[in-house]
Amino acid sequence: MRVVNGWLACIWRSSVLLFAVLAAMPVAAQRAKGAAAVTCATCHAGVVSSYAQAPMRHAIEPDGANPQLATHPDLKATIGGYSYSVQTKDGKTTYSVSDGANTITLPVHYFFGQKTQTWVLEKDGHLYEGMVSYFPRINGLDITPGDQVITPHTLEEAMGRKLPIWESRKCFECHGSGIEPGVPLEPAKIKPGLECEHCHVGAQQHMEDAAKDNFKTLPPSLKKLDSESLSNFCGQCHRSWENVVRNRWHGIAFVRFQPYRMALSRCFTGNDARIGCVACHDPHKPLVQDQKFYDSKCLACHGEQAHSVASMEKAPLPMMKTCPVAKENCVSCHMPKVELPGGHALFTDHFIRIVKPGEAYQY
Amino acid sequence: MRFEVSIDCIVYFAQNKPNTWITKGLLSALLGAVLLCVGLEAQAPELFADVSARAAQARDAGNVLQAMDLYKQATQLKPDWQEGWWNLGMLAYGANQYPVAIGAFTHLLQIVPTAMPAMALRGLCEFETAAYDDALRDLEQAVAHGAASDPRNEQILRFHLGQLLTRAGRYRDALDQYEVFARHQVESSDLYAAIGMAGMQNAHLLSELAAQDRAVYEAAGRAAYPLLADDSTESSHRFAELFARYPATPNLHFFYGFLLFPHEAMDLTIDQLQREVAIAPGNHLAYAYLAFALMIASRYADAERVLASAPQANVDQDIAQVVLGRSLAENGKAERGEELLKQVLERNPDNMEAHLGLVAIYSHEGRREDARRERLACLHLEK
Repeated sequence: MRVVNGWLACIWRSSVLLFAVLAAMPVAAQRAKGAAAVTCATCHAGVVSSYAQAPMRHAIEPDGANPQLATHPDLKATIGGYSYSVQTKDGKTTYSVSDGANTITLPVHYFFGQKTQTWVLEKDGHLYEGMVSYFPRINGLDITPGDQVITPHTLEEAMGRKLPIWESRKCFECHGSGIEPGVPLEPAKIKPGLECEHCHVGAQQHMEDAAKDNFKTLPPSLKKLDSESLSNFCGQCHRSWENVVRNRWHGIAFVRFQPYRMALSRCFTGNDARIGCVACHDPHKPLVQDQKFYDSKCLACHGEQAHSVASMEKAPLPMMKTCPVAKENCVSCHMPKVELPGGHALFTDHFIRIVKPGEAYQY
Repeated sequence: MRFEVSIDCIVYFAQNKPNTWITKGLLSALLGAVLLCVGLEAQAPELFADVSARAAQARDAGNVLQAMDLYKQATQLKPDWQEGWWNLGMLAYGANQYPVAIGAFTHLLQIVPTAMPAMALRGLCEFETAAYDDALRDLEQAVAHGAASDPRNEQILRFHLGQLLTRAGRYRDALDQYEVFARHQVESSDLYAAIGMAGMQNAHLLSELAAQDRAVYEAAGRAAYPLLADDSTESSHRFAELFARYPATPNLHFFYGFLLFPHEAMDLTIDQLQREVAIAPGNHLAYAYLAFALMIASRYADAERVLASAPQANVDQDIAQVVLGRSLAENGKAERGEELLKQVLERNPDNMEAHLGLVAIYSHEGRREDARRERLACLHLEK
């Protein structure tokens, strides 16, 4: 782990001390009142409240509380000679596939995604990725991205793709919480969505210790990570540069792996906090869709020195070329949206560059 | 050629030394030889047609030894006769006369170097004559060029090649050959044992396996078999049974970890390799892989600790040095880390992990252009 800059570390150390003092207050008050168990929200109410709406919190929607399917209780599609039906009633969802003669119907317990949704199914002790997913853009079912290459020969194959143990583990690791290293996956025990502990390893211990006025066991700070380390940290699920290169993944399907695409950018460098994941995205909040929101992030490097955050520091961070074309809506040109084949969705390409007209997708 | 030289000799002697006794005698001898040659050359096409026809008849009648003898004569009469060499090689192979077959296929390959079926069969013959390095060379090249695409030959070629790759210590490549059997749902106890030997890194041939050791190798191969066919769930059950049955046998956890390695299941891989080094503290390869897996999982301090505790002898130099270089760099010793990674690249410029390590070092340090150069090197290599 690396410290971003000296000044940032100082601020951080001060913050830790301040945090420790402030954090003790609500815990002590809670305990004095004999209230219910201490939670992360006891001290970090604001963050926990906003995080409740964040996409990562909903990476798996809880069984029985799935707004997407509650509003789409009767989904049907016929694809490749098979009829699919996803029915939701009284908070219970079933997934069916029929070839006309026979039908497989399974209960759905694992709902991956908040908007676009893929279902992981369980049958005879095996986990399957549902062959069809729900796509808001078409307001209906279609083949799950990546499975277009599969030609089912049996009803079971038409139902879904059998997941190898490592893939199912990876799915639940990135979309849920509570998987322990070295322990076989038990999906029923996985907590849906990413809980605080998922990223803030040691949060549970910290909470227990804090309840006893011990603030020495803080989780390792992610704020201390430089952009390269942060990119690798987020890239554990969003896929890092190394991850993609090691797997020799090529093509437009991998545009959705933001840390990898970002690392291709000429402007990316690991010791500059202005290009790190959290410079633009607050993981505790819903994704900001307004492109103008990101202008200030771009101008932190490509703006005038006087307007940059760096100008407040003793050793200003280097500034980059300014754009001769525009000073707003930077991402609309330099981070174009890319249609994910079969994904019924547009992804922002995080490979920041001067995009030439008509250029083919790179890498 | 011989005919032309003889004429030249006669002309030379007749023109320059017409009256010496030696010239007269030599001229007579040479003239006789020439006439004999002319006679044979004139007879050869007819003779060849006759011998080759009789060879085919003998072969069709199942008179293998006679047919081989006739094919030998015919190929002497017409050394560029491809069909003759092929038939001689096939008959000799079928009659277990492997040196004869090797000779025949070698002649054929001299005429047609791209005759992959001949190369494949020569490889099988070399296997039988214990010329294992030659067999590996031939079978690998033949399979790489499509000799195994004929379903009739695929199993025998891949099974022998798999064993030779195991013997050569190329275990991953051996498992790739056996994977084809699993995908075609071909099963046998020999196949299981061979898979087990590759996975447990026993660099010998199946025939060299001691009878009392066979059971564990067979069981290991049986556990791995479903995983090679993508049924990881069944494989995990079988490995669990295997570990319960052989709790202290070295290389079993290594095998499972090795199989899991390419599948982004680093915590599963690390768990298996940790179990392996606990059972077999002398397994240097398990240490190297464990350290490497920890490095990929960004657990650099743990990777460094594992390397420090590994038995030093025989640890794969490049893997160990990449892990050490990367880990040192990530733990604050960038200069030393860079030095180690560059040394690896001096030995092997295509070492992707060394390039990835340099990317990380340069990126952390803000050396934008250096990082970019290394990233481009990675992109070039992965293609």
